[in-house]
Amino acid sequence: MIRAENVTKIFTGRGITVRAVDGVSTTVDKGQVVVIIGPSGSGKSTFIRCVNGLEMFNEGHVYIDGVDIADRKTNINKIRAEVGMVFQQFNLFPHKTVLENLTLAQQRVRRRKKKVAQEKARALLNKVGIAEKESEYPSRLSGGQQQRVAIARALAMDPKVMLFDEPTSALDPEMVGEVLDVMKTLAREGMTMMVVTHEMGFAREVADRVLFMDEGKVIEEGTPEHFFKSPQEERTKLFLKQVL
Amino acid sequence: MTGTDRAWPWKILLAVILIFSAAAIWGSVKRIDYQWRWYRVPQYFLYEAEEPIKIPFDGVVEGIAVSGGDALVTLVSEDGEKQQVSVDNETVRVSQGEDLFEGDTIGYVYQWHAGPLLTGLWTTMWISAAASVLGLIIGLVAGLMKISKNYTVRSLAAIYVEIIRGTPLLVQIFIAYFFIGTVFNLDRNVAGVGALALFAGAYVAEIVRAGIQSIPKGQMEAARSLGMSLPQAMMDVILPQAFKRILPPLSGQFISLIKDSSLVSVIAITDLTKSGREIITSTFATFEIWLVVAAMYLIVTSILSQFVFYLERRLRVSD
Ligand SMILES: Nc1ncnc2c1ncn2[C@@H]1O[C@H](COP(=O)(O)OP(=O)(O)O)[C@@H](O)[C@H]1O
Ligand SMILES: [Mg+2]
Repeated sequence: MIRAENVTKIFTGRGITVRAVDGVSTTVDKGQVVVIIGPSGSGKSTFIRCVNGLEMFNEGHVYIDGVDIADRKTNINKIRAEVGMVFQQFNLFPHKTVLENLTLAQQRVRRRKKKVAQEKARALLNKVGIAEKESEYPSRLSGGQQQRVAIARALAMDPKVMLFDEPTSALDPEMVGEVLDVMKTLAREGMTMMVVTHEMGFAREVADRVLFMDEGKVIEEGTPEHFFKSPQEERTKLFLKQVL
Repeated sequence: MTGTDRAWPWKILLAVILIFSAAAIWGSVKRIDYQWRWYRVPQYFLYEAEEPIKIPFDGVVEGIAVSGGDALVTLVSEDGEKQQVSVDNETVRVSQGEDLFEGDTIGYVYQWHAGPLLTGLWTTMWISAAASVLGLIIGLVAGLMKISKNYTVRSLAAIYVEIIRGTPLLVQIFIAYFFIGTVFNLDRNVAGVGALALFAGAYVAEIVRAGIQSIPKGQMEAARSLGMSLPQAMMDVILPQAFKRILPPLSGQFISLIKDSSLVSVIAITDLTKSGREIITSTFATFEIWLVVAAMYLIVTSILSQFVFYLERRLRVSD
């Protein structure tokens, strides 16, 4: 479903160059949940943003369903419609109501009729447990509610894959659970997911595989079992000791 | 909302200062012995003109019928052609059976006309409106060009903005009319509106650029991650939010444009300012006319700012 080969992203600016992602390769098969962990600044966000082309990488390849996203002939908008993304800062459209947040891209990108889009939106709002807020503006919602709307907005496109970049890091602790619950439900239903998170409990419970990144590289990769019981690399051990 | 209960002493102070200022101005004007002629002003808004009605052929007055204040005069030419004209009853100069030559005056009609102050105001308004619409389009395009990833596109917009912002509007109007206007044989109105639009466009471009860049990057990323194209994301996500933020500076720009439009009077467009100058040359009511002209600009700009204020409140619902 997702195949990344030797992805490298170099930032240049003000005379310094940063290899934010340095030769990362991995695959996520259909229905799998892959969790990426690692210290801040290790390149997790940059890598996950390379997967849907929000960040254009300097070297390597990313294939979504076998399609090379960096190929000139690839319509990146079409790929992105198949790849949902949830951000740390929610990024809901503040000038649109909750319902409009969910219908906008359905109508513009999927060319769905308004009625159809609204039905889909309502079903998803119901699923994430905020059906009653459909005509509110995002600023009237709590962080946890906003993030659930953001997840529903991504799901409204019927994506084949969902990417999450620290979806609970900006939330007050009491709201983390409601968002993780939605994500767990998704995982159980067989959604293919790539999740950057610091929630080790989530990783342990739903991940098929865990990647540990540091300084732009994948340092260690394995099942949660392997990871939390018998990590091999020194840096992994050090990191886990700090967060657990 | 602190201190609202103690606002009244300050209001009184304000009133006192204003009254004193008015009195001081009045006193100084009195000293120079200026003859105020306010009664002359209204006719420059609206006036009733007397127009002579003349017979278009040699002929005879067949009959005069009076209805209300008007007299209906029936004329017959030497060839037997009949015509009826209506004139004010009080002003009938002919009597039944009278022989007339072509061009003789039968009587007069009275008609209301907009005076130069109103026609000037109208010119100012449409010139400002046309320049605003064009300036908004130019500014939007130039603003988007300024944030383009392409170096050439970005630089072109930057050069345009620099040139316009670095030269006086008055000089731009002269160049637009006497240089570009001569080369391309432009009408003075086209040159005037064009110069104002290009001028406003440069400032609007900066406002638009700043407005778009003030929208958090995450908005564009969220829209693009849903598969929306760059133009779609701009139209549906970025610009509506940016518009809300740039409405105050944008409206300030357009209010300025109404005032700046007074400069087109130098290329002989009869806007409100030019009308004022023309009236003064024939009446010498200098003080009155300039005060009235200033008040007219002030009324138009205040109405506009009130409207923008209302619009801002309407747009605030999603905050
Ligand atoms: N737009 C950017 N320009 C320059 N450097 C960047 C940019 N985005 C990220 N970086 C750098 O790339 C590295 C990886 O950042 P990031 O992917 O955000 O890490 P993480 O998500 O793991 O905290 C950091 O050193 C960061 O400073
Ligand atoms: Mg990050």
